[in-house]
Amino acid sequence: MQIDWLYGLIGGLCIGTAAALYLLVNGRIMGASGILGDVVDGSAGRSLAEKASFLAALIATPAALVWVFGGGQTHATGNWAVLVVAGALVGLGTRMANGCTSGHGVCGISRLSLRGIVATVFYILAGGLVMALARHGLGLI
Amino acid sequence: MRNLAAALSGALFGTGLLLSGMTDTTKVQGWLDVFGDWDPTLAFVMGGAMLPMAIAWRFAARREVSALGTPFPPRNRSGVTAKLVTGSVLFGAGWALAGLCPGPALASLGFGGVNGAVFLIAMLAAMVAAPKASRWLDRLTAPKGSTMDIRALTPTYAVSPQIDPEDLPAIKAAGYTTVIDNRPDGEIPPHLHTEVMEDAAKALGLTFVANPVIGGAMTPENVATQRAAIEAASGPVFAYCASGNRSSVVWAVAHAGLRPADELIGIPARFGYQLEHLRPLLEAAPKG
Repeated sequence: MQIDWLYGLIGGLCIGTAAALYLLVNGRIMGASGILGDVVDGSAGRSLAEKASFLAALIATPAALVWVFGGGQTHATGNWAVLVVAGALVGLGTRMANGCTSGHGVCGISRLSLRGIVATVFYILAGGLVMALARHGLGLI
Repeated sequence: MRNLAAALSGALFGTGLLLSGMTDTTKVQGWLDVFGDWDPTLAFVMGGAMLPMAIAWRFAARREVSALGTPFPPRNRSGVTAKLVTGSVLFGAGWALAGLCPGPALASLGFGGVNGAVFLIAMLAAMVAAPKASRWLDRLTAPKGSTMDIRALTPTYAVSPQIDPEDLPAIKAAGYTTVIDNRPDGEIPPHLHTEVMEDAAKALGLTFVANPVIGGAMTPENVATQRAAIEAASGPVFAYCASGNRSSVVWAVAHAGLRPADELIGIPARFGYQLEHLRPLLEAAPKG
């Protein structure tokens, strides 16, 4: 448990390097919701192939790592009603706000983008509030 | 090459998410749970991720295009909007409820079992429905009595199907200062003719620009007129034709080279306007 933060830091550096690579080579913002959304709603156009490649590797690599090394517990709730509501909120919210933790958080804040900073402040505040309410108020999660 | 680099980035992103523990919902929820057993890991992940990215942005600032020749993404200049804040709040709520955001939801798809898949399917469905929901919200907040369908391509440029003179007060109330008529009079009954619209718009203090575009036969003058009207506008611009398609096409061509072709095609596509056939023209335009 004590070394969790170290894994966090190393994993974070991997994520940042991935985003830097996508920016400097492909010239695009590495935002998970944007890339996924563009592919599923058909607005990717000619960038479809590279976005699909990104998504395929994003899904396949951790799956392969878990298969070889084990681990990979998600501890996700088994309450489907919570999962569906949460999924719908994340899908709708990230498309409306044009970004999520990777796009606004990692890529936006590191560019000192006001939109990225404001979005991050609001989703963390909302997240903390809902967490307090759902866990300590309603005992939902 | 583009696909290879994208795949490499995706692989590294997935590895980082797994390694950092972000695919474990208890770590994410633990970080958001400030009143419980607080888990600081996520802060280290965010910090670690911003470091290489901050360096990458500095590097990008000194050049025009990426290693593969794509112009770097321009800053989104629309500023802090209600949509940005509302969307972020909704996202944060869902993020806390399930402990998943889009990246980790994808990264854990291969080993997260059926629960992860349920979340992902709900998320995908909402992503597809989001533009519709967003438009519905726009209409709900629009002034009463209006049946208009204002499709804001950008915060400063919207297109719409044919409007009626009675729609003009609502357009003004929505903050638009310039109205561009892209529909030739030959297509429509007299009570919607340019002259009628112009008088009604001017009576409200709106700037009115007549720029009739003949379907499939847009001229360079059309493009120049549209661009000039947009540049001269003191506020957001509202353009209409029969469906909004011509107003989108002339906007896209007027901005060729100023915005990436992907945006010029992708944004109208969200409203159902297919501009893919313009790609060669949009990409050939000199940058800047």
